Amino acid sequence: MDALSWDGTLTSRDFLVSARAFAEKWKEFNSAFPPWTWVPCPPKQPPCHLPQLQQQQQQGYLSLEKTCLPGSSKKGHVASQEDVDEISLTEGEEELEPVDNATLVETNNSPQVCYYDFHIVYSDSYRVPVLYFHCYYIDGHPLGLDEIEKDLPACSAKVLLESKWTFITQEEHPYLNRPWYKLHPCGTSEWMKLLFLGDDSLAKNGVAVEQYLVSWLSVVGQVVGIRIPFEMLNNPKSCN
Amino acid sequence: MEGSSGKSILQFAPFQSSVDEGFWHRLSSLKLNKFGIDDSPIPITGFYAPCSHSQVSNHLTLLAESLPSDSSEESVVPEISRGNRNRCSVPGILYNTNTVERFHGLDKQGLLKAEAQKIWEDIHNGRALEDSSVLSRFLLISFADLKKWSFHYWFAFPALVLDPPATLVDLRPASQCFSLEEAESLSAAFNEWRNSSLTADVPFFLVQIDTNSHSTIKHLKDWETCQSADGHKLLFGFYDPCHLPNNPGWPLRNFLALICSRWDIKSVHFLCYRENRGFADLGLSLVGEALITVPQGWRDHPYVPNAVGWELNKGRKIPRGISLAKSMDPTRLAISAADLNLKLMRWRALPSLNLNSLSSLKCLLLGAGTLGCQVARTLMAWGVRRITLVDNGRVAMSNPLRQSLYTLDDCLNGGEFKATASVNSLKRIFPAVEARGVVMAIPMPGHPVPSQEEQTVLNDCRSLHDLIDSHDVVFLLTDTRESRWLPSLLCANTNKITITAALGFDSFLVMRHGAGPFSSSHDSKAEAANSLSADMSNLGLTDRDGGKRLGCYFCNDVVAPIDSTSNRTLDQQCTVTRPGLAPIASALAVELLVGILHHPHGIFAEGDVLNSSNSESSEQPLGILPHQIRGSLAQFSQMTLVGHSSDSCTACCSTVVSEYRKRGMEFILQAINHPTYLEDLTGLTELMKSASSFELDWDNGTDEDDDDCVDV
Repeated sequence: MDALSWDGTLTSRDFLVSARAFAEKWKEFNSAFPPWTWVPCPPKQPPCHLPQLQQQQQQGYLSLEKTCLPGSSKKGHVASQEDVDEISLTEGEEELEPVDNATLVETNNSPQVCYYDFHIVYSDSYRVPVLYFHCYYIDGHPLGLDEIEKDLPACSAKVLLESKWTFITQEEHPYLNRPWYKLHPCGTSEWMKLLFLGDDSLAKNGVAVEQYLVSWLSVVGQVVGIRIPFEMLNNPKSCN
Repeated sequence: MEGSSGKSILQFAPFQSSVDEGFWHRLSSLKLNKFGIDDSPIPITGFYAPCSHSQVSNHLTLLAESLPSDSSEESVVPEISRGNRNRCSVPGILYNTNTVERFHGLDKQGLLKAEAQKIWEDIHNGRALEDSSVLSRFLLISFADLKKWSFHYWFAFPALVLDPPATLVDLRPASQCFSLEEAESLSAAFNEWRNSSLTADVPFFLVQIDTNSHSTIKHLKDWETCQSADGHKLLFGFYDPCHLPNNPGWPLRNFLALICSRWDIKSVHFLCYRENRGFADLGLSLVGEALITVPQGWRDHPYVPNAVGWELNKGRKIPRGISLAKSMDPTRLAISAADLNLKLMRWRALPSLNLNSLSSLKCLLLGAGTLGCQVARTLMAWGVRRITLVDNGRVAMSNPLRQSLYTLDDCLNGGEFKATASVNSLKRIFPAVEARGVVMAIPMPGHPVPSQEEQTVLNDCRSLHDLIDSHDVVFLLTDTRESRWLPSLLCANTNKITITAALGFDSFLVMRHGAGPFSSSHDSKAEAANSLSADMSNLGLTDRDGGKRLGCYFCNDVVAPIDSTSNRTLDQQCTVTRPGLAPIASALAVELLVGILHHPHGIFAEGDVLNSSNSESSEQPLGILPHQIRGSLAQFSQMTLVGHSSDSCTACCSTVVSEYRKRGMEFILQAINHPTYLEDLTGLTELMKSASSFELDWDNGTDEDDDDCVDV
């Protein structure tokens, strides 16, 4: 692709190519971290009276789950107002079982950890990848947006505040059908174009689809504290 | 204890649970679509993995795929795949009760015992050797309150109790227990075990270290063959979810029960397998030796040992709870989606958009017909949440096609009141709307009332007065000219933002009324609603047109408009209108309101016309703020006009308003009963004589009893 005439978007086919390249590269340079895995999803069947679309391309998303972000652990889990009213739960402790001295009674001062699940989903409307994420305490309680904003690394709060190019919104996950947070993609193609235009080698050699997700996540990841090793950026692989 | 001085009791760190939101989503869906009130136990699958973090234990996790799939569910959740190294499957059982009382009333001891018995039997019949995950079998009880989207739940991880308890001889990091060669070989063996899809999710195993330091990992069922070789070390290994340096995790308990009851070993060497970054971490993993005294009665099969394992909630023996209203309550989801849409608009295109002023704005819609329905919808789209609709009609069979809030159902059995049906419809569209319907006729001049109905009419007048008083904005969307008179007067009196939309067959008028005649001196209410200071209202009045207010709907029929071709009363022909007209006019009416709300002078803003030289207004983010918009579908054209208030206006001139202030209801009755009274009062009678070229159809208004009349 010619970088000058390129509009910063990606076809769904190119997204697949780029996702595969990205996952491999991540494994190569980030072996210490859990890998991104491709989660295939059967395409949603339209109601049978509608004509089937020809395009039966593989659908799915890249997933990195149960990630602990550096420096995101909390000292204590402040029960949110919405926790089920404790009254109905504390009708008095029950004597359930005999005292067992082989059970360790833990002194509960381990840090409260938050886990993040990240999904990279292709948006057909914007024709760009979108980062969806979900954050929860170790027992599965989800964090609200206000809690996430407090939990995210300090630098990302700054990025969010200063940047005009993205913001966190809550929307239904296209495959899981429940609300997840996402970084809104409406500015993505514009800054992706700028990003690629600013790169001399890309300007010379054309846009390498394989490099798209790496470059994209190097920007988007800042918001949620995912770091891309410099080597990944600096090492564009040629097409096979 | 038992005289074993110096040896401490081996204490196990309890298993901890973690439930993904997706689990509750699928459980709710299954409960609604499949189980109904059937509360029989459901087999579920939990997942766990070895500890992989020096500070955090791994939890037994339930995900959406822990439950059987629900065919009616739209979402595409991947099914359980075997051999996932980070998701070792563990069988469990779920008791989901129908009521919170049943939840609290469950026989927890009995349920735990029943699960413990299954484990005990699997140990004895050898099934635990084939599929070792059954040793970690768990139990979950829950109550799903689907109306509140909250869930009460309690996990139990049944552990067979050794009595007397096992004692600890030695426990230390695995790295201190092996030679360099052994450690290397062991790590390699572990990594192979963990990377093969055949073994990655097998949580209990045997570790054999030969005299030549070569390590192998074997399945439990191969225990017999391990006995033949000589001189090797044999360790009982398991995936340990616990991170603590001085305690093994919970799965070892039932493993020890298996080891002592099947193989009768008194001194057990065990290995707690833990990982770091996907590789065996021998510094984190533990190797220990425990002494077991086989408890009395364990050899009798019918005997089932005691079991423990209910999970504590912050150290207390109480259940846990979680509320997922934020992600499951459709009303809350609709609110956040609607807010998001408007915020996107603000972020991307209109930074000065004041969403709070819109969401707190109280709008009164007089008329719930073609215009009323469409105005209400467009208001909601702008984030307006408080809408009152006034109408005394019922939904007729012809209405749903043009009046976008109604369906055929509303027409049946004589038809629902429009005020009621429209409110129900708005709530179906957006449950968070604060909509109210008022069934009420608007008193009209030129429609004399018999004396016995006088009181009713006066009550209507007072109700209308109170309604206008308690709202910030009034839309005049009724089907006759004369029904707009009283509201116009009341709005002029209280200085409310007033917007009129009226339709002809193929032409329309949308306009905002100017401020009332006494707005600067007396009324401050409307100004407050408009967040304008008193200074601003003065500024508005002393504009460059020499203090002229903008006109109201009735001024403009008297004062010669700028464009004479548009000088037709548009709503006189109460006949038919082109169906596309009402949506256009309604949309413009709401956009006009949004323009007023975002104009620094609010209700006092001058009327802009297209290509106006007024540079101040063209700088407004929402563009110009016209006074009147007249459009014609015949020409597909639209123009903006300005008309100032008339001194002889029958609705908003100072004579009429002060007469109303002086005499109140008496004045209204007189106006209603005596057709010429208003014209005489304002001098309009004189004016009509002098301006014979204007045809004013004040009292030859349409017959209000004609139900075929198209509501506009």
